[in-house]
Amino acid sequence: MIKISGVSKWYGSFQVLTDCSTEVAKGEVVVVCGPSGSGKSTLIKCVNGLEPFQAGDITVDGVSVGDPKTDLPKLRARIGMVFQNFELFPHMTVTENLTLAQIKVLGRRREEALAKGMALLDRVGLKAHAAKFPGNLSGGQQQRVAIARALCMDPIAMLFDEPTSALDPEMINEVLDVMVQLAQEGMTMMVVTHEMGFARRVADRVIFMDAGKIVEDTSKNEFFGTPRSERAQLFLSKILGH
Amino acid sequence: MHYHWNWSIFWQQSPDGDGSYLHTLFVGLGWTLALALLAWAIALALGVVVGVLRTTPAKWLERLGYAYVELFRNIPLLVQMFLWYFVMPELVPKGFGDWIKHMAPPWGSFVPAVLCLGTFTSARVAEQVRAGINSLPRGQRMAGTALGLTLPQTYRYVLLPMAFRIIVPPLGSEFLNIIKNSAVALTINVVELTARARAMQEYSFQVFEAFTAATLIYLLVNLVVVLLMRHLERRVAVPGYIGPGGAPASGH
Amino acid sequence: MFGGFDFDVIERSWRYLFFTGMSFTLRLTLLAMAGGIVFGTLLAMMRLSSIKPLAWIAGSYVNTLRSIPLVLVIFWFYFLVPYIGAWIVRSDTPVQVGAFDSSLFTFVMFEACYYCEIMRAGIQSIPRGQVWAGYALGLNYWQSMGHVVLPQAFRNMLPVLLTQTIVLFQDVSLVYVLSITDFVGAASKVAERDGRLVEMYSFVAVVYFIACLVLSQLVRRLQARIAIVR
Repeated sequence: MIKISGVSKWYGSFQVLTDCSTEVAKGEVVVVCGPSGSGKSTLIKCVNGLEPFQAGDITVDGVSVGDPKTDLPKLRARIGMVFQNFELFPHMTVTENLTLAQIKVLGRRREEALAKGMALLDRVGLKAHAAKFPGNLSGGQQQRVAIARALCMDPIAMLFDEPTSALDPEMINEVLDVMVQLAQEGMTMMVVTHEMGFARRVADRVIFMDAGKIVEDTSKNEFFGTPRSERAQLFLSKILGH
Repeated sequence: MHYHWNWSIFWQQSPDGDGSYLHTLFVGLGWTLALALLAWAIALALGVVVGVLRTTPAKWLERLGYAYVELFRNIPLLVQMFLWYFVMPELVPKGFGDWIKHMAPPWGSFVPAVLCLGTFTSARVAEQVRAGINSLPRGQRMAGTALGLTLPQTYRYVLLPMAFRIIVPPLGSEFLNIIKNSAVALTINVVELTARARAMQEYSFQVFEAFTAATLIYLLVNLVVVLLMRHLERRVAVPGYIGPGGAPASGH
Repeated sequence: MFGGFDFDVIERSWRYLFFTGMSFTLRLTLLAMAGGIVFGTLLAMMRLSSIKPLAWIAGSYVNTLRSIPLVLVIFWFYFLVPYIGAWIVRSDTPVQVGAFDSSLFTFVMFEACYYCEIMRAGIQSIPRGQVWAGYALGLNYWQSMGHVVLPQAFRNMLPVLLTQTIVLFQDVSLVYVLSITDFVGAASKVAERDGRLVEMYSFVAVVYFIACLVLSQLVRRLQARIAIVR
């Protein structure tokens, strides 16, 4: 479904990604972890073309992200993305957040978009908050709405960029529960996160990045059992400590 | 299109006998700069006083300063120009008023223009000075008085030196504004640069040459002032201090 | 000090001053504000665009007009607009344009430079994540600008935009240099006809003072209300 081949990226003369290659098959859940500055957020933003890259290519469902002839908005509509800071549109209600892209990008009629939005809002447990503004919601609630917003587009894959890093601890689980459910329903997911508990529960594979390179790319059990690189071992020991 | 370009017009003699058209433009520039510099001197002198007043602990002084700023801010510059030129001579004691009215041109126009531009800009300078002083940490004032300095001394030795350095960039903008605003003086017959360009257009019918020249001269003056300001900023910069920034204020 | 002045002249010319003069000023202000904000927002988007020539054109235009006196700009457009008109309608001779239309064009083109800088700051203050979220949903540039960025930028910069409009209201008085009858022009005509310079110009000053003071107080209150809501 998602194929990353030899991707490298520079900010000016500083190289942030070096020859990254991996694949995410349909229905697979891949967790990307690593220390700050390892490039994991950058890599995931390259998958839907939010960040440009200078070398290599990425294809999603056969469509090349790097090809200048690709209709990026059309591709992005098929990939869902959830951000660390939720990024709900503060000047719109929850309902409007959910229906905007459905109407403007997918061309759905208002009633259709509304029905879909409400169904997904209900699925994340927030139906009662439809008329509220993001500013009236807690962080955990906003992030769940953000997940619903992405799901309204009927994506073929979901990208998560540190979805729980900006949340207070007591709200992390409500978001992770939604993500676990999504994984169990067979969604193709690529998740950048520090939440190793989540990885252990639903990930199929774990990718470890350091200094712009993919250092480990193994099945979940192998990663948690016997990681090959020292760097990954060090990282694991530090974060699994708490 | 029926416009006939003629760039050699600049070397032709101007009908009012002052020399070539180009020469008249430069004479106009001279008046613009004279007007701007004298008005700037007044603006700085008054503006600093009012700006300081607005930051003193005395409530009534602060209100006085506020009234001063609001007065000059809420009346268009053109109207203020007319007030100084037509109304002021009538309101002052008769002897003084008559003397003003009999001032020979160009001074009869120039003096009110300088006073008008100076006071108008002083309100804006006052606001910059106030912002500069208020951007300093509150502890600075307290440190001054804790050392035994009186309030005036605190202003003189502690607050104002820093405030001035911080507001060099916005003061530079205000000086550029004075140069632009000087053009309004043509309504009371000050023959500055824009007036000369207009005169050149009226005599020679070479509209676009005249106004292009004026535009280029203003841009050049702008450039020189910006470079001087940057030089000044670097010379008075205080290590570790960036100064107040933020969204642009409105106005010209 | 004010003895010997005939303030009745104000009463007598009241209709002319307000229904001809002030009406011109207000109409010009409101229309120029609308046009200026629209064109200014467009210029801001051009300045922030990644298409270099577009950014350069917008930047040069804005910087040039902000560096020269408004009086000069008024003269420029007064002579330029007939030629622009001729170019648009493909006529051989310059097109005659009325005083109001010429002034409107001038003020839209001039104030747009100032509205541009305000909107540019507003657009730049919107977090990049908002733009990414829009793109991630499949919105294109115009959709993300129109639905996500500009509504927020406009809301944030509203007080500054309104303050600039008060400045515009005062700037309109400069149509005087073309002998156009705005509020100041009307007052000046009455003043010259009746020889009542002091009364008329004092009156004009008082009217502007009250109007601008009230308007800026309203903007200040709006600013306070917006601040609480965020």
